[in-house]
Amino acid sequence: MVEPLLEVKDLVTYFFTESGIVEALDGINLTVYPKESVGVVGESGCGKTQTAYSILKILAQNGKIMSGQVLYKGQDLVPMSEAEMRRIRGKEIAMIFQDPMTSLNPVMKISDQMIEIIAMHRDVSEEEAREIAIEALTAVGISDAANRIDEYPHKFSGGMRQRILIARALALRPSLLIADEPTTALDVTIQAQVLEIIKEMKEQFNLALMLITHNLGVVAELTDRVHIFYGGRVAEVASTYDIFTRPMHPYTIALLESIPSLDVEKGRLATIPGSVPQLINPPSGCRFHPRCKYAKEKCSKEIPLMEEKEPGRFVACHYWEEVEISDIAEEVIGSHKNKIKQKT
Amino acid sequence: MASESENENVLLELRDLRKWFPVKEQGFIASRQVANVKAVDGVNLQIYKGETLGLVGESGCGKTTTGKVIVKLEPPTTGQVLYRGQDIYSFHTREDEMYFKRNVQMIFQDPYSSLNPRMLVMDIIGEGLQIHESHMPRLQREQIVYDLLEKVGLEDYHAMRYPHEFSGGQRQRIGIARALAVNPELVVADEPVSALDVSVQAQILNLMQDLQKEFNLTYIFVAHDLSVIKHVSDRVAVMYLGTIVEYGTNRQIFTKTAHPYSVALMSAIPRPDPRRKMKRIVLPGEPPSPINIPSGCRFHPRCYKSDNDKCIKEDPPMIELEPGHFVKCHYPEM
Ligand SMILES: Nc1ncnc2c1ncn2[C@@H]1O[C@H](COP(=O)(O)OP(=O)(O)OP(=O)(O)O)[C@@H](O)[C@H]1O
Ligand SMILES: Nc1ncnc2c1ncn2[C@@H]1O[C@H](COP(=O)(O)OP(=O)(O)OP(=O)(O)O)[C@@H](O)[C@H]1O
Ligand code: SF4
Ligand SMILES: [Mg+2]
Ligand SMILES: [Mg+2]
Repeated sequence: MVEPLLEVKDLVTYFFTESGIVEALDGINLTVYPKESVGVVGESGCGKTQTAYSILKILAQNGKIMSGQVLYKGQDLVPMSEAEMRRIRGKEIAMIFQDPMTSLNPVMKISDQMIEIIAMHRDVSEEEAREIAIEALTAVGISDAANRIDEYPHKFSGGMRQRILIARALALRPSLLIADEPTTALDVTIQAQVLEIIKEMKEQFNLALMLITHNLGVVAELTDRVHIFYGGRVAEVASTYDIFTRPMHPYTIALLESIPSLDVEKGRLATIPGSVPQLINPPSGCRFHPRCKYAKEKCSKEIPLMEEKEPGRFVACHYWEEVEISDIAEEVIGSHKNKIKQKT
Repeated sequence: MASESENENVLLELRDLRKWFPVKEQGFIASRQVANVKAVDGVNLQIYKGETLGLVGESGCGKTTTGKVIVKLEPPTTGQVLYRGQDIYSFHTREDEMYFKRNVQMIFQDPYSSLNPRMLVMDIIGEGLQIHESHMPRLQREQIVYDLLEKVGLEDYHAMRYPHEFSGGQRQRIGIARALAVNPELVVADEPVSALDVSVQAQILNLMQDLQKEFNLTYIFVAHDLSVIKHVSDRVAVMYLGTIVEYGTNRQIFTKTAHPYSVALMSAIPRPDPRRKMKRIVLPGEPPSPINIPSGCRFHPRCYKSDNDKCIKEDPPMIELEPGHFVKCHYPEM
C-alpha cells in the first residue's frame, strides 16, 4: 500500500478566549496520498482553515494543539521546532491563504514578495527567480506581468491578488499544496483558468492538493476524495464520486440540498434548518444532532465514531443506514455526476 | 419616456463615470505619469429605489472601483454620482453629507482588511450607530448589535472578540452586520457571500431580502457567482473593461442574453441540468489590460462575432433592444 503523504490523526486544537474555550478541532482525521487531490468541505466556522493552520503550526497566539499527530512523510510535525518547521513551509507544504490581502504585505512590491522566496526555496539566482515569477503570474492570467510585478498589492483587484498568491505558491514547487478557498474571489471564466493551472501543475510536478472550499462544483471537478467537516469533526470521508452519487451522512445530504440552482427565479433559498453549532459548549453527542432529521435519543448522548462502512467509505453517524436521499439532493447529484464522469 | 415620474424612482445615478489611476514611472529626479489604468471608463447607470441591481463581470473589470466611487471612498476622475438627485461630491450642507454617509453603506470584498484589528466586534458593528445615533443609549445599541449577530448566524459572545479570532466566512458576516446596523437606504455589497458555504450563504441572502422588503432597501450586488446574481437581482448589469456592455431585467439578461461577452459569461456557468448544457465558450486571448484599451468595441479582440472592421473602428453605441434592455454591441444576439 502507498504510504500517505500527510496523515492527520485525532487532532485536537483549542482556542482560549475570555468567553471560554473554543473547541475548534475535536479529533480531526485526514489523509492525503501522494499526487492525490483531497477536498475539505464544510460550513463556515467548522474548522477547515484551523486544520490547515495546525498542520503548518501557524495558529494564532491563543490557539493550541492539545493532542494528536500530523504525520508528513511519516514524520510528526507537532513536536517539531520552529526552525524545522520553516524548512517544511513553502518548500514542502505551500499554502494559499483565504485572505488575499492580508497574506500580501501591502507596503512591499509584488516582486519583492516573490523573487527572494523563490530564489531561496528553488536555489536559483535572483534573475532566474524573477523570470519564474513573471512566468507564474502570466500563467494565472495577470496581463503585462513583466511590468506589473513591480507594483504594490493595492493596485490589483481582489481576484488578481488571489491569483498572485496562487502563482507564488506554485512557483515554489511544493510536494503538497494547501489551497484555502483559492477561487472564491474569481469569476467563472478565470476560476476555470486557475483550476486548469492547478490541474496542470499537479500532473507536471506530482503535486498533492488539499483543497479547502465550500464550492461543491469545484470539488466535483478537481478532487479525488472528499472529507466533509462538521463542527470541528469529520462527518464523512469518501471518494468524490461516492460523495456525489451516494452520500451517506445526513449532513452531506443537507449540504447538497442547499446548492442554489440556476432554474429558480428570485426567491428564497433552502437552508439547513437550525444554526451552525457553537464551539464553546458544543452540542453533546453528535454535534449535528440538533439539526438532523434522523436524530434519536442516542445522538445527543453518544459521539458517533468514524467507521469504515464500505471499503474506503468512512461515516460518523449512528443511523447512517436509515438515511435517504431526497429529490432535491437527487437533482444536484444528477448535475454533478456528469462532471465527475468526465474526469475519470 | 415618462422621464419625470421615472426620475422619482431613481435613487442613484452614475453619469459618464470615470476613474483612472495614473501609472507613474520613477525617473532620475521625479516620477512622471506615463499612462492610466482606466479602471472605470464611462459608466452610465440608474439604480431604482428598492431594487437589487446585480453587477457582474470578470476579475479586474472595475466593479469594486465603481462601488468605492459610489460610497465616496475614491473620487471619480470625471463624471458624476447623483444620490437622490444631488451630486455626492458637492453636497451643500453638512446635513446632506451626513445623511449620505449614513444611508449609503458598503460591504467590502476583503472582509479582513476592512475590519479594524484593534476593535472589538461590538464596537465595529456599533460604530455607525455611535456616530449617527449618538443619543441612543448604550444598552439599546448593544441590543441592536446582538440582534444583528444572531441574524447573520453568529453568537452573542462573538461581540467581545477581535476580528482575527474569526474564520473567513465569519468575518464576512461581521462586515455585513456592520453595513446593515445603521439601517441604510443603499448598500453596495461587494461579493458579500463569496466566502460562505451554500447554507450560510442562503441564510445571508434571505436576510438581505427580508430587510429589503421591510425597509425598501436598495442593493447594488457585486458577485461573480451568476447563480447568486440570478437569485437576488431584479436587474443585472454586465461590466467589461471599465464599462457597462449590457443591462436589463434579470429575465432579459438570463434568457435573452444579447452581448457576446455576456453570452460567453453565461456559457461558463455549470448547468444543473445536463440536458440543457450549453457549449462552453472559452474567451480567446489574455484578459485585456485596462491601460491599453482596445480600439472600437473594447471587446473585439476576444469576440466570436467581431467583423474585424466596424468592431475595430467604431465604439458601438448603447442601444435599447426592447424596453429596459440595453446592449453596447454592433451585432447583438437577438
Ligand atoms: N484566534 C481565535 N480565537 C478564538 N476562536 C477562533 C480563533 N480562530 C478561529 N476561531 C474559531 O475556530 C472555528 C474554526 O475556524 P476556521 O477558521 O477553521 O473556520 P473555517 O472552516 O475555515 O470557516 P470559513 O469557511 O468561514 O473560513 C471558528 O468557529 C472560529 O470562530
Ligand atoms: N489604487 C489603484 N491603483 C492602480 N490601479 C488600480 C487601483 N485600484 C484598482 N486598480 C486597477 O483597476 C482595475 C479594476 O479593479 P477593481 O478592483 O475595480 O476590479 P474588480 O472588478 O472589483 O475585480 P475583482 O472581481 O477581481 O474584485 C484593475 O486592473 C486594478 O488593477
Ligand atoms: S461590437 Fe463587435 S466586437 Fe463588440 S461585442 Fe459586438 S460583435 Fe463583438
Ligand atoms: Mg476558513
Ligand atoms: Mg473587486
